Amino acid sequence: MGTVQAKEAQNKPVDVGAFSNKEPENGPKDESRKSQRTKANVSYPGLKLKSVKARVDKVNIEGLGRTKDDIIINSIQPLFTAGDFMEVLKQAHEIRERLVSLGCFKNVKIFIDTSSGKKATPDGLEVTFHVDEMTRLTGAVNTLFGSNNEGSVALSLRLPNLMGRGERIQAECSYGNRRTSNYNFGFVKPLRGRSNAFFTTSLFQQFSEQPASGYKQIDRGLLFDLAFTSAPLVRHNLQWETAWRDLSVLNRTTAFEIREMSGPSLKGSLRHILSVDRRDQLIFPRSGTLLRLTTEYAGIGGNVNFLKNEAQFQANIPLSADVVFQATLHSGLLKPIGNSKPPSLCDHFFLGGPISLRGFESRGVGPQAGRNAIGASTYWAGGLHLYSPLPFIRPGGFGDLFRAHLFLNAGNIGNFEFTDDYNHNLEVLGQNMRIAYGLGIAMKLGEIARVELNYCIPHSYQRTDFINKGLQFGIGFDFL
Amino acid sequence: MPTPRVILSEAMALEVGGKEPWPNDVKLFQPYEVEQILLPDNASCLATQAFLKMAKLKYTVEPRSNAEYMSPSGKVPFIQCGAFVVSELEPIVSFVASKGVSLTNDLDSGEKADMRAYMSLISNVLVNAELFLTWCDPQTYKQVSKPRYGSVFPWPLNHLMCWQKQSAVVKRLHVLGWASKSLDDVFHEVDQCCQALTERLANKNYFFGDKPTELDALVFGHLFTVLTTPLPNNQLAATIRGYGTLVDLCKRIEHQYFELQSSS
Repeated sequence: MGTVQAKEAQNKPVDVGAFSNKEPENGPKDESRKSQRTKANVSYPGLKLKSVKARVDKVNIEGLGRTKDDIIINSIQPLFTAGDFMEVLKQAHEIRERLVSLGCFKNVKIFIDTSSGKKATPDGLEVTFHVDEMTRLTGAVNTLFGSNNEGSVALSLRLPNLMGRGERIQAECSYGNRRTSNYNFGFVKPLRGRSNAFFTTSLFQQFSEQPASGYKQIDRGLLFDLAFTSAPLVRHNLQWETAWRDLSVLNRTTAFEIREMSGPSLKGSLRHILSVDRRDQLIFPRSGTLLRLTTEYAGIGGNVNFLKNEAQFQANIPLSADVVFQATLHSGLLKPIGNSKPPSLCDHFFLGGPISLRGFESRGVGPQAGRNAIGASTYWAGGLHLYSPLPFIRPGGFGDLFRAHLFLNAGNIGNFEFTDDYNHNLEVLGQNMRIAYGLGIAMKLGEIARVELNYCIPHSYQRTDFINKGLQFGIGFDFL
Repeated sequence: MPTPRVILSEAMALEVGGKEPWPNDVKLFQPYEVEQILLPDNASCLATQAFLKMAKLKYTVEPRSNAEYMSPSGKVPFIQCGAFVVSELEPIVSFVASKGVSLTNDLDSGEKADMRAYMSLISNVLVNAELFLTWCDPQTYKQVSKPRYGSVFPWPLNHLMCWQKQSAVVKRLHVLGWASKSLDDVFHEVDQCCQALTERLANKNYFFGDKPTELDALVFGHLFTVLTTPLPNNQLAATIRGYGTLVDLCKRIEHQYFELQSSS
């Protein structure tokens, strides 16, 4: 959320700063007028923005170089429909978000002034967007340390705004010290229209190792993705993926059943992802819900044929100013179609681990062959969390990166046989349910990832499960 | 890459496990014979089967389309014996020896060294010749190897996997100095190899007297497969047919260990 610099008197110019931690450099130069900072979502005393009639007379875009006018003109259209000042602010903010999401600009700043000149209307406003275009080529070199105890170096190159309409080509590759290499080569094009649609093509190679299941996997494939918004905050992804998955045995201790399932397989699938994210922030949300439904049909070419459904739900309820209660539920169902093209081992669901069911080892729950997890066709896992800021530390600054949490999570996985009897199905899902609880500290890494250190106490588990009693460390994006 | 400690513990596990007698449920995994297997793989599968039959060890053949990927060394055939998975003839021979079964107990050390030398001659000449013919001869590759090898994969994986396998084989042959040879050079090498084998065999029933050894199994596996596999270029089979004593050896082994045993 950006900060708003509003002038004291009505009908005076209002400047909406682009970034919360940045003073608008090319804002009004008239420093004699005293400005006051306040958060945009905080109502401003003495200034009822909604009651202020406003009409946008003119929109200026400054700083355009190679970006084509038509995509900008398309994006700013809604601004002219605004009837009051609040709406102007809201629309301007949304347009700014959209311009940023085009990936053409490093920085977008908004400056709103009363309009002047011959054609100016009484309530007229003039909105100016100051944009800062990206250079033609950007790149980065990173070193990573992954979960497989492998260090790797990653190179990335980007050609943003290739043809002036937000198209970009991006290439990423990483090489690990254990001779693993990952590549991703992609082309992204924003599409016109109000649905904020993006078309993405990517060609990838990805290496992964699953010690708990005793196999390693190389994925190579091609992915077409169409992302669009159908209603506010309702995002769809339609994907067509063709992936060549090469499973191989990790070492001699790998179970023979895993060995039997190794070898290459080809998956041709159509996937639909629906996500409704009404949370106020990605990591440590205070309120709001997230719903994500994934449906995948595999069987367009290739030699695996299945239907896979996954659902994710998260609700956050603020209990007091600091304490947030969170409930999550994940579930998945894999249904093979026919007998001749069974799903591969890597299509199965697995459960357990620090970012899945805490209190168990990674993939430590569910069917096994030897000591290796072979996954299953159905799973569910749910969690209840109570988050609070770290005790004895004043809020603000460094302390805001951390949360203390109490959790209770439960789940089950198996190749369950379902019938038409609803009660029977529920009973099957609840049989041999695993439960673990504990407490720990979570830290956010940037705005996307989080790290957790928990003390876990597995409460109910099966004899064959690999439990993790005591400290457990986890790092990831999507936690249960 | 496994650490030395792991290698040691694996070797120890092999030693310890080896003490148990030969179980009844040993399985030999190999690709599908009718529609998939190629000349070099078929030869080594047959050689291993011949060895197990000579050693009078029970096994059942398990055809799998992904046998190559299941094998610990990436090569077929391999056997599953209890918890152990052992691939290729020579490791299987030593694994069997650890169970107290050997075909070479009567041989002195000089003969054993001789036998190893001939075995490596075969893997250096016959195996490479088979690989060359299968993967580097355009006619054979197009008409036989590619359709058969790709038969178990969906499009476009069939092309990709063939290409991947071909480049791996070419790389191997290149290292061994075989990639630049012509077909005639290859047949000449095979000819010389057969000559050496014929000289060693002379008038004996088997290479080392009246009892077969793993060398007999290996020679049988390769020669019999080459003789019985129809290929667009049958020069290789013709070369071997020129050596009557070797062909007789193959017939003898087939009759003794495959026909008689399966009929009884």
